[in-house]
Amino acid sequence: MVLIGENLNIISKTIGPALKERNPKPIQELAQAEAEAGVDYIDLNIGPARKRGDELMEWVVKTVQEVTDKPLSLDTTNPVAMEAGLKVCKGKALINSISPSRMDEEAPLVKKYNAEMIGLLWGREGMPRDAAERGVIAVELMYKANEMGVPNENIWFDPIATPVVNIESNQSKPCLEFMSMLQDIAPGCKSTVGLSNVSNGAPTHLRPYLNRAYLMMLMKYGLYSAIVDAFDSELISIARGERPEIVALVHRVMDGDKPAFSSLTEEEVKYVKTVRVITGEALYSHSWLEI
Amino acid sequence: MAFEIPKTAYSGKIREIKLGSGDKAVTVGGETCYPFYLFEGEMPHLPRIAMEVWDMPPQEWAEAALEPFKGVTDDPASWAKKCVADYGAEMICLQLVSTDPNGLDRGADEAAEVVKKVADAVGVPLIVWGTANHDKDTEVLRKVTEVCQGRNLIIGPVEEGDHKKIGAAAIGYQHTVAASTPIDINLAKQLNILLGNLGVSDELIVMDPTTSCIGYGIEYCYSVMERTRMAGLTQQDEKLQFPLICNISKEAWKTKEVHLADGELNMGDARKRGILLEAMSAMVLILAGGDVIVMRHPEAIKLVREIVAELTAS
Repeated sequence: MVLIGENLNIISKTIGPALKERNPKPIQELAQAEAEAGVDYIDLNIGPARKRGDELMEWVVKTVQEVTDKPLSLDTTNPVAMEAGLKVCKGKALINSISPSRMDEEAPLVKKYNAEMIGLLWGREGMPRDAAERGVIAVELMYKANEMGVPNENIWFDPIATPVVNIESNQSKPCLEFMSMLQDIAPGCKSTVGLSNVSNGAPTHLRPYLNRAYLMMLMKYGLYSAIVDAFDSELISIARGERPEIVALVHRVMDGDKPAFSSLTEEEVKYVKTVRVITGEALYSHSWLEI
Repeated sequence: MAFEIPKTAYSGKIREIKLGSGDKAVTVGGETCYPFYLFEGEMPHLPRIAMEVWDMPPQEWAEAALEPFKGVTDDPASWAKKCVADYGAEMICLQLVSTDPNGLDRGADEAAEVVKKVADAVGVPLIVWGTANHDKDTEVLRKVTEVCQGRNLIIGPVEEGDHKKIGAAAIGYQHTVAASTPIDINLAKQLNILLGNLGVSDELIVMDPTTSCIGYGIEYCYSVMERTRMAGLTQQDEKLQFPLICNISKEAWKTKEVHLADGELNMGDARKRGILLEAMSAMVLILAGGDVIVMRHPEAIKLVREIVAELTAS
């Protein structure tokens, strides 16, 4: 599992101002901490960066590269800023992300800078409603990328995880279903997912349960990579294959097993309950672990 | 092969909740099927209608809504009595409008006294509704629960922000709470869990999903109520197996359409318009699973009762 640390983000209370003031210290400290925590990539999320985004991306890439050799994931919707970052990025960069409507403009960058790309399955009409719509968007992205000389192994599809707390828009199951068919429709393509989305809106101290459980569920279908909170060490252990029993339990529950809670540890019960709210078998509430 | 009508696989049951006390107490809930799916299960208690009474003379009611209550709107006890005696009300919902801090801001003691008078004047179950101002409702409803100890009032709205204090008072003085959330099933479930954690018995909870009337988003209310029932009946979601209470009359009668004069904007007879808007909105909510519907106009109530009777005729 390739892990992309999500923490260096413009919406962070320390990183936002540091980016604005071009203050390298908090940014370098965080990048180093993420590297030490054991992620494989460091995501540099500078947001839409409409004003002087190119200068900002160039600066942040250089700043981070001074303290770590980890590969970088460049995260902005501004193509000019993206290119400025790619120009100075030393290793093989990951472009995070390109959706169909931005392919014409941004896919050439993938080829030009020998980068990889996250193909965001965000349709022209917004969020896809099921696995099939995700499949259609993925195929469109793949063909277009291939045409522009980007091979499948450089495309990482992100099916877009959605918050479990909102019953109306919970797409957790369609994402799993998409993952199960990805290798049939786009052989050789990779996958990733913005994992923390699944727990958006849940109480902060409980979010890791949703993130970890969903990661284990996606692992069942061979998830290649995930964009994660670098400081959730338990999550990293799970991704590194150090929690095989709990992963096996989660997969059994997904297959319909209903283990008696009395036969499980307290921790295992929490994961079983969490799997049930993610699949929609049980309706989410903030106290889902208590009932 | 003979055609077989598909049947829903139900695994749960809505709780039966007793409202009020004495020989006029009513029981609601108990459904083992979707609303009026009598070919699949049972509705042992049909939806009940609570007639709305205000604790102060309404200033802005449409003429059609005021007319049936002429002469009693300045006395809540007489008003409630009239509802029971003349219009056959099985329940009363007393709206404590006068306690609104942005309005008359009547104090808790005075408000509680009015509630006591109304409760004594009629034997039917009494719903007491505050103004959804957490601080004021806490003050007023706590006093109400104390003064009416043992009457098993239905106290609402109890929201996440005031559930601890009002919930505790309801436990102490033996009343039912109406757990109110803003049209959101996850929040509704959460509030029921919180009330349970506080120690409110499952026998003393009804749910207010928050409702609006036709033309003002009732579809969304319908979906949330329908989904709530699905969770309770087919997903064994114990925290959503509670009867639903819908406060619809004030929504219907405050609409712009109800206040247009006869013939204005080609909308026909004002009286008929108001009555139909209320009746149809109430009926939609009953079809979505409403167990207690708060209504205002006697003719709208009559219409709804007729439809319910037709839907359940054997």
